[in-house]
Amino acid sequence: MKKVLSLLVVLALGFGIINSLNQNSSFPKFGEADVSDRVSDRYINKNVTEENEEVIFGEDGYETGSSNFVTSIVANYRSFDTLGEVTVLFISAFGVALLFSKDSKRVSLNFKPNFMLRVGSRALFGLIIMTGIYISVHGHLTPGGGFPGGTMIASSILLLYLSNDSFRTKIKGFKLLEGFMGSLYVLIGVAGIYVTGYFLENFLDTGVVGDLFSAGIIPIVYVIIGLKVGSEIASIIDNFLTEEVS
Amino acid sequence: MNPVLLIAIPLLFAFLSIMNKKFARPLLLVALLLDVYLVFTISKGLYSIGGFSQYGINLLVDQYSLIGLMVVNVVFFLTVVTNCKEVKRLSTVLLVALAGVNGLLLTNDLFNLFVFLEIVGISAYLITSGNKRPLATFNYLVQGTVGSGLYLLGLILLYSMTGTLNMALILPTIVDKAIPLSNLALPFMLMFIGLGVEAKLLPFNSWVKGVLQNANALTSVLIAGVFATTIALTFGRLLSTVFVLGSISNIVLVILAVTMLAGEVAAFASKRIREVLLFSAIAQSGLIILLFANGLVIPAIMLIIANIVSKYILFTITGKMVDGTKTDEIESLQGVFSKNKLVGFAFTVASLSVIGLPLFFGFIVKLNILTSLFSQYQLFLSALILVVSLIEGTYFVKLLIKLWYSVGEVKTFKVDALVKVVTLIFALGLIVFGVYTKPLTDSLMTVPEEMMEAIAERGNF
Amino acid sequence: MIQYASIILIMLGLYGLLTNRNVIKIIISLNVFEIGLNLFIISVGYVDGGLAPILTGNSTSVLSFVDPLPHALVLTSIVIGVGTTALGLAFAKKIYAKYGTYEIDEMGVE
Repeated sequence: MKKVLSLLVVLALGFGIINSLNQNSSFPKFGEADVSDRVSDRYINKNVTEENEEVIFGEDGYETGSSNFVTSIVANYRSFDTLGEVTVLFISAFGVALLFSKDSKRVSLNFKPNFMLRVGSRALFGLIIMTGIYISVHGHLTPGGGFPGGTMIASSILLLYLSNDSFRTKIKGFKLLEGFMGSLYVLIGVAGIYVTGYFLENFLDTGVVGDLFSAGIIPIVYVIIGLKVGSEIASIIDNFLTEEVS
Repeated sequence: MNPVLLIAIPLLFAFLSIMNKKFARPLLLVALLLDVYLVFTISKGLYSIGGFSQYGINLLVDQYSLIGLMVVNVVFFLTVVTNCKEVKRLSTVLLVALAGVNGLLLTNDLFNLFVFLEIVGISAYLITSGNKRPLATFNYLVQGTVGSGLYLLGLILLYSMTGTLNMALILPTIVDKAIPLSNLALPFMLMFIGLGVEAKLLPFNSWVKGVLQNANALTSVLIAGVFATTIALTFGRLLSTVFVLGSISNIVLVILAVTMLAGEVAAFASKRIREVLLFSAIAQSGLIILLFANGLVIPAIMLIIANIVSKYILFTITGKMVDGTKTDEIESLQGVFSKNKLVGFAFTVASLSVIGLPLFFGFIVKLNILTSLFSQYQLFLSALILVVSLIEGTYFVKLLIKLWYSVGEVKTFKVDALVKVVTLIFALGLIVFGVYTKPLTDSLMTVPEEMMEAIAERGNF
Repeated sequence: MIQYASIILIMLGLYGLLTNRNVIKIIISLNVFEIGLNLFIISVGYVDGGLAPILTGNSTSVLSFVDPLPHALVLTSIVIGVGTTALGLAFAKKIYAKYGTYEIDEMGVE
């Protein structure tokens, strides 16, 4: 009975939404979005604060200097959202630790890593962590950035974690890294107030579009995010793996 | 002073606090003190983040957000100070929550609001986890996530139609592009439901019972006082400056009226003191949103202030009482106030103010609400509010009589001197404002015009 | 038309939330709901024949980019989803520790 009722409610709701979107003349049909009519147009042409017709690859002097537009939004135009997002992940990781450390005792993993796991993970660890760092560092040039890069870093840590007994006790250091990186992000923002007057302002030279050393604070912020996300997800993994339901 | 510091300082301290647990609580107190100080020194205006004027994220400080910030920060500070023992390991969570509520009150961007909604939401889940009722908190988490998901869906529809996320630009763009009302009904309905979950509106509020039923003083004051006020103020800003209710106003009114009535009836039927208070809180939030939906901003803000002050007193005292006596059945709490006269006095003042008796602040608020409704010829709503007040009066008076007059053995409970002082000051404040309201009404006078100013200037500087 | 598939996904998630009485299944439904939502957000920015919003050396001015803002928003939304899922699973473990089961009906409360 309950299932039929829920099915009816959900069907009615879904049909209502689709129908209302279909008849909505102001809602652009799929594939017909008019970008020139939205704020994104300014983000693509990098002319929010200055006059600018079109961005040309390999020239300098643009307001963000990042050739990946998504990155320029995530780490510059709407960097405040990203700070909030990092905070959400931070508080979730903290919450997981808070919930687990209370009543049940911490138990280590109940298996011994075999030879294949130990050697294989050591070989893969370097590759994965290098890919992760590369993706974090090149966030302003190529797809990716701090968040995917950070999760890759965390996955390489997971490998070490599974294969190395003594590593599990050292993982507490990540708390330090996490807190330090978060503080650094906020401090860069606050520095913006004192350098140019706006929180999280891109106060460094933006350089040539397409160069590795360009886009001002964007790569710095993305590396910070990468390390922070990496340490946060690693600590979530640590909490889930070493805790046993009593 | 730049208001972004209100968000940045607690965040910075939160990140620092996990490095060494010993400093977490002092850092929380320092951050709260700094924020309370900053709130009284920031000046009005639009503050850009990153310097991208109306294309980036802005923080808006006008009379509305200023009043909200003052009330919320001061009450947050006092809540933490009077419940210092319960804070313990929650210091970091509370720091993030402080940043979140300040962000919600300040932000002028729809998506940024979603992010802060999630920050406040997740801190709220963690704060309620102290109740040792994981299932209730899990329920809250699921409903809160679905709620903010629906808000996000509405937001993205609105973005695809208007091409902007700036709250000050939504209305002007709708007018410019001549988007018909019927096309806006879906996004606004989705956003309304999404925020309605957090604002405890029926039928999206089944999480409230599980969470507040077993909450201690810290949790209940934070959830029912601080967070509820913040959400109500955020909702109010959206209702008065962003939403075009038009085609959905009937559904909205029905939801709100049902919330109020059902809340009061459930409170009337409850036998446990915390349930009475939580259902009364549901009804109150329904009334607040109802006022905003009808464009009555000034009475709504007055009600919010009266609400947070009385909720602070009621929930703090109830929390301490339940802690001390280990029960929250009204029958077994008979006559507790005859041994704790000062606390009882504060509790009585707060509940009489909620009912709206003359001499108390609540009376001025109710009077203001009714006169504004009558001047709009909203006879049905005025009648509804009168009926609701009658129910409210009955159960609060019943409650007070039970709590004051002892039959047989009386349970006792201890209250810190600090709690006594703070609740008494708040209670006296309710009386003072009930007699002498001029400074408050004067400072509220300009709120509606200032709210529309940002829109008139299209988010420019 | 294809973007309505994501609405169907959202509704599937909601149906799962309404009918399931198992804590883990509820979290999975929540994830289905969020994935549908994220796909819908991405679809809003799509332009027929548009380029990925990255400037490269060989792109010409004739081609247009898809809207990059929904991509940025969806990144935030995904990360927030990860956070809530982690927290939800942690609560699920707490529930299991307290009641010894993931089925809400077998807990004998509320």
